[in-house]
Amino acid sequence: MLPAFVFWSIGIGFIVVQTTLLPVLPQWLGRPDFLFILVAFIAYRFPWIPGIMLVFSLGWVMDVVAAIHLGFYPLLSLLTFATLKALAGKSRIRESTYQIPLVGVSYFLVQICFYFVYSLAMPDALPEWSWGQTLQRTVLMVVVAIPLFVLFNRLLENLRQRRAKAKSHRRRSVKVN
Amino acid sequence: MRKKSQAIQGRSVFATIRVLLLVGVLLVVGLLIFAPMLGGRFGTPHQLTLDFIGPFQSVVTQVMGTVTTVKNDYLALLSVRAENKRLQAQVAKYLGELGKYREGYSTYLHLEELLAFKENLPFEPLAARVVGKEPAYWYQTIVVDRGRKDDVLAGMVVLAPGGAVGQIIHTSENYAKVLLANAPSSAIDAMIQKNRIRGILKGAGEKGYVLQYVLKNADVAVGDHIVTAGLGGVFPAGIPLGRVIRVQRKQRGMFQEIEVEPHVDFQKLEVVLIDPTDRRKIIDSMNMERER
Repeated sequence: MLPAFVFWSIGIGFIVVQTTLLPVLPQWLGRPDFLFILVAFIAYRFPWIPGIMLVFSLGWVMDVVAAIHLGFYPLLSLLTFATLKALAGKSRIRESTYQIPLVGVSYFLVQICFYFVYSLAMPDALPEWSWGQTLQRTVLMVVVAIPLFVLFNRLLENLRQRRAKAKSHRRRSVKVN
Repeated sequence: MRKKSQAIQGRSVFATIRVLLLVGVLLVVGLLIFAPMLGGRFGTPHQLTLDFIGPFQSVVTQVMGTVTTVKNDYLALLSVRAENKRLQAQVAKYLGELGKYREGYSTYLHLEELLAFKENLPFEPLAARVVGKEPAYWYQTIVVDRGRKDDVLAGMVVLAPGGAVGQIIHTSENYAKVLLANAPSSAIDAMIQKNRIRGILKGAGEKGYVLQYVLKNADVAVGDHIVTAGLGGVFPAGIPLGRVIRVQRKQRGMFQEIEVEPHVDFQKLEVVLIDPTDRRKIIDSMNMERER
């Protein structure tokens, strides 16, 4: 429960940063979608139920804060989560070597899907599609995902170890009693 | 074996439940999402979420605003410093130019004054630039850039728009030395302009002049103008010398002590006019006449 809460807080922090700090920074610095990276990480490392809850709630918040048409963010987040989770559970993608490139690939595909869906629903409200920009953003996501995944992994391991220690300590104390 | 098959069955049931749960959650989510979308309504959950996240955004925005303000202030400070340096350099440049212009204007005024003075003179004077000054107390002299080559001779009178400057005492081919009228060794026949009372104007160095040998009963007041008397043949009559600034009548003695401020500022002499009249000849002729 604690790891879920910690990562949910991180997600809220990312949303706040993405909606306040990043738009102000110069464009050449890039504006990576931290929340997407977190969703991918959750898909790889969290079980289904807490993962869904986390991803949905974060998508919901992002949706409320940033979306014009409500519902897209949670939907995209859940779809990304479910796809990555399914892929990670049934193949070698579980290994960390494949995880980060898959973040890039999924991000790229999500961009295309997002654009496709929007172009069907509201073709006038979209800017012109640019392969260059999309690839650029994808590369940026991959680059940013590397340190973030390292950090998230360490944090998660740390939290789980603590939890394990606390459990074993509790068992010992029960046995002693 | 039975237990194993039971365990496998349990797992598959659990997986089915998990998938069903996911589908259920997705459905609920979809309903939650699409219901407000279809109705175009920003529902209560959305409002609550926005109220929850708003303060965080507000804090970050405020922090960012502060950081941006500090950054902008710092950058402004840097640019102000650079601007200040630039302006200071500009001010220095303009002050230099202003100094030049002032100097030019001052020179222009001085030359204009000289020209006016020169035009009023009954003779054609020779302009000379002061090239050296000897500020010693006893030998108050200046050196001018005119010499024998320009027919400048010892004894010639040197004038300035303010009045008498002195007398040429030494000459070389190109330069001449002038004994200033305020030198302690200088003595000029002078008179009080208003009543023509005569006396001897002695140089007193930095103090200017002292008018000597004026009787106690003579009418002398502060502000009276002193001019050359024209006696002795050195200075022509009527050349301004100075203005009375102090009159002292002592109980003892026959004469008054009169301090005179020179009209000419000896410290600021730059260009002087030399009267080319050969005064020595005049003096010699006067002496010869006396001897006869």
